[in-house]
This record gives sequence, structure tokens and C-alpha cells, in this order.
Amino acid sequence: MAIELSAVRYRYAGASVFALRSIDLRLEPGRVVGVVGANEAGKSTVCLVAAGLAPGVVGGLLEGSVRIDGVETATLRPHELAQRCGLLFQNAATQLSNTTATVFEEVGFGPCNLGLPVAEVGDRAWWALGTVGIEKLAPRDPARLSGGEGQLVALAAVLALRPKYLVLDEPTSELDPAGTSLVAEALGRVARETGAGILLVEHKTDVLARIADEVVVLERGAVALAGAAAPTLADPRLAELGVEPPAAVKLERMVREAGIEWSAALAEAIR
Amino acid sequence: MSMTRLPDYVVRRPSGFYRSTNPGTKLVVAALEVLAAFLLPGWIGPAVVLAAVLATAAVARRLRGLATFGLAASPIVGSILLVNLFLLPGASDPIARLGPLAPTWSGLWFGLQTVARLLAFSSAIALVYLTTTVDDLLADLSRRGLGRRAIFVVGAAVQMVPLTIERAGEILDAQRARGMDTEGRIWRRARGVLPLAGPVVFGALTEVEERTMALEARAFSAPGRKTLLRVPRNGRIDRFLLWAALLALVALVGIRVAGRLG
Amino acid sequence: MTSPGSNPRVPPAPGSNVPGSIPRVLPHVPSIEVEAVSFAYPEGTRALTDVSLRIEPGETLAIVGQNGSGKSTLVRHLNGLLRPTGGRVLLDGADVRPVHVAHLAARVGLAFQNPDRQLFAGHVSAEIEFGPRNLGIRGAELAERVALALAAVGLESVATANPYDLGYSRRKLLALASVLAMRTPVLILDEPTTGQDARGVARVQDVVARAAAEGRTVIAISHDMRFVAECFRRVVVMRAGRVALDGPPSAVFAEAAWPELRASYLEPPLPAVAGARLGLGATPTGGAVVAALAAGPRNR
Repeated sequence: MAIELSAVRYRYAGASVFALRSIDLRLEPGRVVGVVGANEAGKSTVCLVAAGLAPGVVGGLLEGSVRIDGVETATLRPHELAQRCGLLFQNAATQLSNTTATVFEEVGFGPCNLGLPVAEVGDRAWWALGTVGIEKLAPRDPARLSGGEGQLVALAAVLALRPKYLVLDEPTSELDPAGTSLVAEALGRVARETGAGILLVEHKTDVLARIADEVVVLERGAVALAGAAAPTLADPRLAELGVEPPAAVKLERMVREAGIEWSAALAEAIR
Repeated sequence: MSMTRLPDYVVRRPSGFYRSTNPGTKLVVAALEVLAAFLLPGWIGPAVVLAAVLATAAVARRLRGLATFGLAASPIVGSILLVNLFLLPGASDPIARLGPLAPTWSGLWFGLQTVARLLAFSSAIALVYLTTTVDDLLADLSRRGLGRRAIFVVGAAVQMVPLTIERAGEILDAQRARGMDTEGRIWRRARGVLPLAGPVVFGALTEVEERTMALEARAFSAPGRKTLLRVPRNGRIDRFLLWAALLALVALVGIRVAGRLG
Repeated sequence: MTSPGSNPRVPPAPGSNVPGSIPRVLPHVPSIEVEAVSFAYPEGTRALTDVSLRIEPGETLAIVGQNGSGKSTLVRHLNGLLRPTGGRVLLDGADVRPVHVAHLAARVGLAFQNPDRQLFAGHVSAEIEFGPRNLGIRGAELAERVALALAAVGLESVATANPYDLGYSRRKLLALASVLAMRTPVLILDEPTTGQDARGVARVQDVVARAAAEGRTVIAISHDMRFVAECFRRVVVMRAGRVALDGPPSAVFAEAAWPELRASYLEPPLPAVAGARLGLGATPTGGAVVAALAAGPRNR
């Protein structure tokens, strides 16, 4: 039971170089795996490959194996993939269908596409809205939401398909601090309450420090570092790999480097 | 949590005269009116259609909205009148002589008739817009079997208009901030077309791929019929009106074609 | 990427952001006064209410606040894109209302948040040329400006690439370079660090530091409190179209201001929180925490 990428290489259609050169990655239900790396290290590509959209929808050449619960993604059609693995991008505006009058219907859009009975669509929409904690937004016009609200609606809309895994590509990068907190809290709740496995690409390592179980660091299309979240985010090689460490890690490092004796009081203050 | 009932704002149907009429029916009625405005000879077409549209709008309390449409059309109306008044080819019944200009009676009548047709045609379409929400219309078309892709294209196109206007405004601001002259002489302003059109087009193109993927991630291409949450009213009166309008439409076209041939 | 060649033919432009060098001609940097400015959008949304700020030449100022708090609306008043519905904006004491945006653009540069709202040219260099060309810069001066702007954001290697073949973060740096090349004495950056990795953030910090070192006024809108605390000498907190806090990072992020910050949906940066927990006083940056600890004996 997992999304498994083994020895994955991937090249976009028309590209001469491989965007992913060597990726091994495992996402289990109920776990939050953070993905970080410098720009153009392959983070977004990993999302598309893990969710099965590359090469299925976007084309390109894939080598190695990508399996969701043991099934090769290449054998699944897009709507079958959508029920196994949800995908969320950074820009809420491009993810809403633009064809619904209310947030409730927007969240019901996926289940409606599956042709589920009306009662089931209603159940799923309320469940997804409740899990993300945005029942209040249900009557609103999706075109008139703030960035943070829009992203939460997009998350609920993907959840309504009841996927066992979620892949999120920088879901907070367009958001203000309050919006970032809302999304981070919602993701933590989704992982706890639905048992979904979450693959989260995120520049804001402070968010990962809060909710990730594991962190994978990419460099030029390959895994450079991987492991439990806390030690990986504190790894001194992180900065060389183009990743800003969490604020607490940076501060502890500055204090230690200044030759100041580390103490329990300091550790308590810098958390 | 089980709340099998859909919320009111989804199942609630529009109320009020004509506003509650089935959207597809309204679309066919409007089509009939548009054809009538053009196919019926002389003043009959535009007069009948305008009377019908205005009466419906009055009872449905949408006259004010219709007036706004009329105002928006006024520049076109004015230019049609002026062009015909002074420049109708072959007209030789001058109202007066104003130096080199000679407004004609036949120009005036032809201009007025053209304007009446234009107003009848546009107000018939405007009335559908004023009494129907896009979502109800799409839901009804979907119920009537229009494919989900077609529905999506129509809906997204309608909703893209305000988004594109907003984006164009921001692009204009960004280029002005880089010193592009939009307040100076015309020829200087003309040079700004590419810097404005470029980002509108490229921006839309780069978004298409993301939109496509986001849709696929929401099972857009699942086979079979899509579930409808919003089911517009389609009562006996709606169906009667629909068939009556369709028959009238066919009759109108038939008479017209026969008239031509005979 | 340093030492601009002398270029006697072209008259010196206002401002010069030559990376790593002393500018040939110090720009005349205007003071900016925002006097009781209010602004409502045509459909009635009130975006600014009675905002007053005086920004001295050479100040570095960060504007923070929730989305929709009026930050972007405020900076669009400084280069004339928006005209206040109440109050005035003055550059060097002169009302900007009658001045065309195209003329103000020579003095106040503004890099927008979303690069995709401005990139249009077929290749990177042409994109950077657009702004200076609009200011009448041609020939060797233009080429030099493009080269220096590319160097400032580290895009020299992609000068001939199509902007839309670059990733989002590099498109964003390109948009920044395209404004840098205008060498305006006032530089405004709207969310310059979003979507950037650690190296990109360092680039942006470098751009801010150099512009400040040259004596130019730098104003940035940002959600990144660490960037704000470390790179700017003054912080303005906006809330619901008004100025909620205005002062140096040490004051705005000090414990006494936290209730006001949180009411504005902002959190102080970690060093400020840690400093307060340790009783170190106002420590908005990691450097300040270390300095306060090193100054020890810690009296906690």
C-alpha cells in the first residue's frame, strides 16, 4: 500500500535532457512526505509523475516504475488515477472549473464527473468541506474567493474524489502568512483524519517542519537527501542544495557558530 | 456526517415571471424572436418582437436592465441612423438642404427600420441573459444531452471574460510602470500592442496546460453521464412554450423559403 | 560583472544600479510623501483610508500585511498608476497627479508580483531593453544596462532564451531585472521572494542591499518576515487599508507590538519570539539574537 517510484527517469516531450534522472520515493497512507530542492530540481515533475499525469496526460518519456498500490500508473486512465491520487497546484485560480455557481457545486464537480448518485455527491461534498474546515464557504461564488480560500476549496474539491494519496505542488506559495497557516493546518488534519498519504512540495520549510514526517531533497532530478523530517531539515548540506532551512534550524546554527554555549533554555526558546 | 440533502442555494430554482421559465425554452424563444425580427417584412418583424420582449421584460421586472443594454447600443444606433440619413444610396427625397449634405426621408425610414431590427434582435438575446443565470442554462443544456466538454467550453468561455479583462488591466499597469506611453500621442500608443497582447496570449497558453491537468485530476474525462445537482424547472407550460416556439420557428423559416422560391 | 566602461556619448541616466560598483552619477533620489491618501476602486471597494507616510531619500521600507490589506494599491500610487480619490502623493514636494505615468516611471520603478503579467518579448535581452528604451536609452548604454541587469539577477547564461522557456522563479528574476535596467532612483518590488529558492532569495537580498548602498530608495511588499527584518530598516504594517504599525523592525516586531501584528494576521519572525522568551529585548533578526547573547551576562 503506497505510491512507489523506483529508478524513475523522465523526460518531457521535445526536451533533450531528463528532468528526473534517478528518483526512488515511497509515500504510504497517513504519512506526510515533504519534497524540497532548488528551483528546477525536478519537484513539479515529481508531482506529475507520482500522480500519474506524466506521461499519461502531458506526454514525455518515462523509464522505471511508478505504482499506486501496486498498479502501474501507465495502465490507469486519468479518471481512475484521480480517485487514487489527488493533485493540487500552486495557483488556485487555474484549478477551479469556472463552471459552477457555488463552492458546494465546485467541490461536487469531481463526484458529478464520476456520475455518482446525487445523495452521494452531497455526502462527499459536505465531508470534504468539513475535513478541510470550510463549510462556511459552501454558498460562496468560487470566482470571488481570496487566494487562501480558493486554495482550500481546490483542496476540498480534490478530496471529494476520496483519493488515498494527495500530491501538492507548492500549495502555499501564492498565499499570505494567514493563508499558509490555514492550508498547513488543513493538510495536517487531512492526513490525520482521512489517513491519506500526502506528498508536499514546499519552499517554506517551516511548514514542513510542522507537518511532515519525512523530507526528500532533490537536486538536478535526483534524490540528494532523504529521511525523517527533523534531521533532514537540520542537515547542514541543505543550504548547499539551494534550500532555506527552517527558521529554528538557522537560528540554532547561528547561535552555535557564534560560540555561544547551547543550553536547554535556548532550545526551549528557539522551537 | 450524512447530509444527503443538497443545500438550498443549489436546489432552489429561480422564481418570478419568465425568470423561472426553463432556460432552454427561453433560448428557443429568443431564437424565434431573432429570426422574426429579420425575416418578417417591413415594420412588422421588429415591432412585434420589440413589443413581445418589452412586455415580457416589464412583467418580469427586467426593464431597467434592458434599458442599460439599449444605452450601451446607443453609439451603434446613432451611427446607423446618421449613415442612412445622409448616405443611403439612390435616395432622392431630401428633407432639407444643409450645404453639401442632404438628409433624405427614405434614408431616415430605412435607418429607423434597421435600428428597430437591431434593437429587437439584441433585446431578445439580452432578455435571456437578464432572466437566466449561466449555471442554470448550462445545467439545462447538460440535462438535454449536450456533452460535458461542450458545456465546459461554453461555461469557461463566459467566465473567462471578466478574468481576461482583469488580467489585461494588470498587464497594462505593468507595462506603464516600465515607461510605456499610454497617455501620449496615438502613434506612440500603437507601439504598445505587442507588450499588451503578448502576456494576455502567453499567460492564457501557459495556464491551459495547468487547467487541463487540474481537470483531469478531478475525473473530468470519466466515461458515462455526469450527475446534475441543479435541475432547472421544465413544467407543462415550459414544454408547451418550447414546442410552440419551435413550430413557429419552423413555420417562419418555411414560409420565408417558400416565398422566395415561389 | 563590475566596472562599467565609460560611456561619454550618452548622458547619465537617473540612477544607476551597477552591481558591485560605485555609480558614476549619484541619482537624485526624491523624497516621497503620502498625504492622507484614500482610495476607492470605481465599483466602490475602499482600499486605502487616510494613509500618511513620509519616505526619505535612501530609505529601505518593507510593507507587510494580509492579502487585500492595501499594500499593492498603496505602491501603485507612488508611480501614478492609481490616483488617490482623497489626499495627495508628492515626489520632492511636487504633486504627482498631473505627471504622466510614463514620466514617473523614469523615477519610480515598480516590479510586479506576477512576471506573467509583463513578459512579452521573444528573448530575455529584448525583455530587459523594453523599459530603458521607453526612457530613451539606446546604443552602448542600453547594451550595458542589459548586461548589468542580467548579471545582477544571475541570468547571463540565458540572455538569448525565450522568457517562456524559463521556470517561474527565473521569469520572476527576469521581471526584476527588466525594472532594474531602468535605473530608477526609487525601486519598488512587489513580493520579490515568492517562489524563489534559497539562492533566488539571496539574489533578491543582494539586489536590495546594492540598491540601498547606492543611496536609492527601496520599497518592498513582502510576506516573508525574515527577509523584511533582515533587509529593511523600516517596516510598515497595513491592515484594512490603513497603516497599523510603522517603525524599525526592532519596534514593529517587538513583543509590545505583537497584539497589533496578530490582529493584522501576521506573526513576528522567530528570532523576535526567541529573543522575547529569553528576555533579550527586541531581536528581530538572528544576528540580533546572537549579539544580545554574546553581550551576555544573560539576565533572565
